[in-house]
Amino acid sequence: MLSLRKLIVLVAGLASLASAKSSTGNSVLVVVEPKRQDDFSIFFDGLKKRGFELTFRGPKDATPELIEFDVPSFNHVIVLSAETKNYAKDITPQSLLGLLKSNTNLILPLSTKTTPLSALAAEFSLILPPPGTPLISYFPKRSEPASLIPIKPSKHDDLNIISKNTAPIWFSGVPQALGNNPLLVPILHAPAESFASEVDGGSPDALVDSAEKGGEGLWAGSQLGVVTGFQTLNGARITWLGGVDLLKDELAQKEISPGVKSGNAQFAQDVAAWTFQENLVLRIDKVEHHRVNATGPSEQYTNNDQLVYSAFVDKYNPQTGEWERYSGLNDLQLEFTMLDPHIRTALPPVKGTPGKYSVTFRAPDRHGVFKFVVDWKRKGWTYLQSSTTVPVVPPRHDGYPRFLSAAWPYYAGAISTSVSFVLFCTIWLAGEVRESSKKPGKAGKSE
Amino acid sequence: MNTAYPVPIDVPKSTIRNTASLLRIVALSLISGAAIASRLFAVINFESIIHEFDPWFNYRATRILAAKGFYEFWNWFDPTAWYPLGRVVGGTVYPGLMATSGVIYNVLHALNMPVDIRNICVLLAPGFSAFTAWATYMFTKEMKDESAGLLAAALIGIAPGYISRSVAGSYDNEAIAIFLLMFTFYCWIKALKQGSALFGTIAAVFYFYMVAAWGGYVFITNMIPLHALVLMLMNRFSNRLYVAYCSWYAIGTLASMQVPFVGFQPVSTSEHMGALGVFGLLQIIAFIRLVRSHVSAKQFDQLLSGVGVLIGILGALAFAFLTYKGKIAPWTGRFYSLWDTAYAKKHIPIIASVSEHQPTAWPSFFMDLQFLIFAFPAGVILCFKELRDEHLFVIIYAIMASYFAGVMVRLMLTLTPVVCVASAVALSSLLDTYIDPTEPRPEVEDRTDAVSEAGSVATNGSSTPHPNGQSKKAKKAAAAAPQTPKGALGDFIAATTPTPKGTAPRQKGIFGIDARLVVIINVLSMLFFFVFHCTWVTSNAYSSPSVVLASQNPDGSQHIIDDFREAYYWLRMNTPKDAVVMSWWDYGYQIAGMADRPTLVDNNTWNNTHIATVGRAMASSEENAYPILRKHDVDYVLVIFGGLIGYSGDDINKFLWMVRIAQGVWPDEIQESNYFTPQGEYRIDDRASPIMKNSLMYKMSYYRFNELFGGGQGQDRVRQQPVPKVGPTLDYIEEAFTSENWIVRIFQVKKEDPLGRDHKSANAFAQGKKRKHSKPAPRRRALVA
Repeated sequence: MLSLRKLIVLVAGLASLASAKSSTGNSVLVVVEPKRQDDFSIFFDGLKKRGFELTFRGPKDATPELIEFDVPSFNHVIVLSAETKNYAKDITPQSLLGLLKSNTNLILPLSTKTTPLSALAAEFSLILPPPGTPLISYFPKRSEPASLIPIKPSKHDDLNIISKNTAPIWFSGVPQALGNNPLLVPILHAPAESFASEVDGGSPDALVDSAEKGGEGLWAGSQLGVVTGFQTLNGARITWLGGVDLLKDELAQKEISPGVKSGNAQFAQDVAAWTFQENLVLRIDKVEHHRVNATGPSEQYTNNDQLVYSAFVDKYNPQTGEWERYSGLNDLQLEFTMLDPHIRTALPPVKGTPGKYSVTFRAPDRHGVFKFVVDWKRKGWTYLQSSTTVPVVPPRHDGYPRFLSAAWPYYAGAISTSVSFVLFCTIWLAGEVRESSKKPGKAGKSE
Repeated sequence: MNTAYPVPIDVPKSTIRNTASLLRIVALSLISGAAIASRLFAVINFESIIHEFDPWFNYRATRILAAKGFYEFWNWFDPTAWYPLGRVVGGTVYPGLMATSGVIYNVLHALNMPVDIRNICVLLAPGFSAFTAWATYMFTKEMKDESAGLLAAALIGIAPGYISRSVAGSYDNEAIAIFLLMFTFYCWIKALKQGSALFGTIAAVFYFYMVAAWGGYVFITNMIPLHALVLMLMNRFSNRLYVAYCSWYAIGTLASMQVPFVGFQPVSTSEHMGALGVFGLLQIIAFIRLVRSHVSAKQFDQLLSGVGVLIGILGALAFAFLTYKGKIAPWTGRFYSLWDTAYAKKHIPIIASVSEHQPTAWPSFFMDLQFLIFAFPAGVILCFKELRDEHLFVIIYAIMASYFAGVMVRLMLTLTPVVCVASAVALSSLLDTYIDPTEPRPEVEDRTDAVSEAGSVATNGSSTPHPNGQSKKAKKAAAAAPQTPKGALGDFIAATTPTPKGTAPRQKGIFGIDARLVVIINVLSMLFFFVFHCTWVTSNAYSSPSVVLASQNPDGSQHIIDDFREAYYWLRMNTPKDAVVMSWWDYGYQIAGMADRPTLVDNNTWNNTHIATVGRAMASSEENAYPILRKHDVDYVLVIFGGLIGYSGDDINKFLWMVRIAQGVWPDEIQESNYFTPQGEYRIDDRASPIMKNSLMYKMSYYRFNELFGGGQGQDRVRQQPVPKVGPTLDYIEEAFTSENWIVRIFQVKKEDPLGRDHKSANAFAQGKKRKHSKPAPRRRALVA
């Protein structure tokens, strides 16, 4: 059985060895106690086979540094020393946040103890239970301790990230209540029957108290996350593990029921694939805008022009390591904005052109500096954001219609006045000459 | 003939005429030279740079015009101004100034003289001041004579009231507008005197130029009709008036409507209705006169005048009805503020906030006009003495301009020309009288003299027969015209030239040379002091570019404070091209011109709401201002802070105007009283109100100001108040740049936090503060037993 699994991993690894890469780079720093390093060998092997270059470092080692000369040294960082309270100088919550800001992806662990990382978790709107209260569930009935729980991915979990048909996952650690931060990506939830409590049952009074307060302070139920992702606005991804045990070889090899292997190994690779920007990675390759019937873009558009806006969306293919055109989005929207959206319209995929999304609309009858805004945020997926500024100007001085049918009374008036003036002058002058030849004086008036 | 001092007698008249004309030309060119030279202080003391605020926009627009041509300029939509609204520049600008520079630029380049457009812009105002001197000469010549004209030209050439808006680098509309004003008036007087349609048309053409150049054209639009109306009321209607006015009005109005910014205003707004009404009245009166000339019966006459009155009443009613229906725009706020100086403060703070819209202080009259302010009424009275049609014009002009100059500082500019004209008339009359060498003679001699010189009366300009003034005029002409060339210089030459005859008896007493000298020397010394005063005022008060400030080192040498350009250059060099800069509107044009970055608001204050938005952002606390800043894509906020070196024109001193303007739009959120201490004081020290201390403007101004004093008590040198020991902190913006003397401070607006936190807690985390432990929010309501 073991060899079969290894074989499968090997085959999968060979298939992807040439190419399976993250879209942002392959260097990974693993912060782990040196003596615990071997506990995670399946996880590490899986990563290596998918093409990542792992560098190991103890939590108290000074090198290699996370950030050198303000540039992050690695593309991804995994911290597996969950219970370490004192890290080396350069690993602080603030510096980890700095890594995220410079688009480094992180996998960070939580534990039942208070560590520097649990302070960091609060910044991600994760609400941790008090120290010393792991997740406990007495269901299903089993021989393992209550704090070691098999969790079956359900439809509430992010099935885009977790592979289909993943076997139940052994979990042991702390749950996280999720704040209402829209950037959170809950990957795996706790089972409905589980709750956070001290291992030996604790005092049930605390649970009752909080239950009476309407659930305030109650870490219980399927609303809790055990593995939670977070995607920052600049696109970096971070995954919080409720406990590092689920990555360990021990649990990866532990059977969930007789004859059925646990899903831990698969789940660990899935989480790493999402966090390290292999999966669900999109980008807007380019945008185009032009007038209908024009080929190139204009520097500015005129009121009421018919405009065509197209965006080309790419999806990253981890198998080939290349960006491919992607037409699978059906809820893309375009806004034409000046302070407020003046136009908000669907941006549907164009049939026949892969990856192209296009819409034609009429520019508003309002001049100003407008922006074509595409802002697509879905949980788990890369955020698609694009903003293109164009001025919309009033018509040129010669851009208005030249003759208006409504103005004919004025044209008639102007023409008749001009004609009669010429006529009057002609008659006056002619009359003057004729009269003056007959008799001098101003007799012309009498006619 | 008896003369007070020897004068050459046997000089041929043609020689005198030629010499006088040569001297006039020389004098005029010297005056032009003086006018130009005195305006170059700014260039010499500082450098060849565009001044102040509005000129920066004009300069920028001119560069577009020179680079892209007139049509592109006309259709220019500026996406960087009033971001994100943009500004349709072609339709909201008086293009006359830019067009003038553009024409000069193209002509010079066609002549293979590659002059930089900046130098043309800098030197345009001094150049046009020479033209103004000439136009004033022509105008005053029509009032009195050439000598008064020369005097007026000299006065306007150096009068500080005009120099204040026309030094080199002050590239503003007024630079050419005063010339156009004076020349249009001259053409109008000429047209009125001669009944000439040609001069009426020329007046209309220059009126069009004026309309294209300056919003103050409304002054002409109302002055000329007022003059015509007064003439009609004084029963001085004539065919000359009819021809002059109709040709001016018809052509001028049609032409002025071609300026896009003006458009249909001449037929639809109240400011222009006076001209239209007078035009109609003229037609009625002309018609009545025509009918009267054909109908002899007196009853008809009365009937017709009744009809005339009826038509007048009907016209007025129609006007009132159209105003009521909204076809004719009512008077604008700026106009009301001319009658009620407190109006703007109550209703339109944005107008009241401009310093040049404040009522004029008395000392500034003396500063700008010096002794002319005393000579001016004398000149007006002299105009009353003769009261020809053109003198009426000067009188009306004097009254109107005096009033307006009292109401608004900037309208001192329109007062200055008439002061110069009237003073020149007064002074030249005085000098004429006392330099005139003719001694009083027995009656017989006098009469023959008058008859012999009667011919010169006609050539002397006044073609209006005026029975009362005839003999007086003749006497004066007899005295001045044949024997002495015009002007003091001519008299001086005449006086010093040894005369062949030399038999004139030197009398003592009131006609004696000593009595004359007392007066003449007095007048001359007044003129001399005027020159010194003008030079002093020009060099000290009016030549500062305000972009570059000057102070004095302890040893008396000049120290240049160049913070503005330093900061604008920082913006230009260190920020992305499309980074939006928010500042109070005063600095909008400068940022656009020098830093080349989009601005939210600028000196073209067309959108009160947008300005109020900026005021609101400045007056709100950081967390309230941040959404406003983000919504408008603001990347940088620029404030002017004078507390370190005592620059009093800074934003904290303007802050109350921001608050007031914001309060006008959002009275629920911003209240002026919140920014005062409970005692009603405007303070920035410890006693400042919490809302004041939390406002974005206060925080930006005093951010890290304490650190300059190294732990000691910081002192704001403008407000003369100590700053609080603990300075403000910033969460949502961060300091990006502070200039050498702290005058300009630039702050960068932070992007949204990548974790979606608010910046306050993000900052607290970055500083290592522990977040309060939170609990999962209740998901259901607790049951209450």
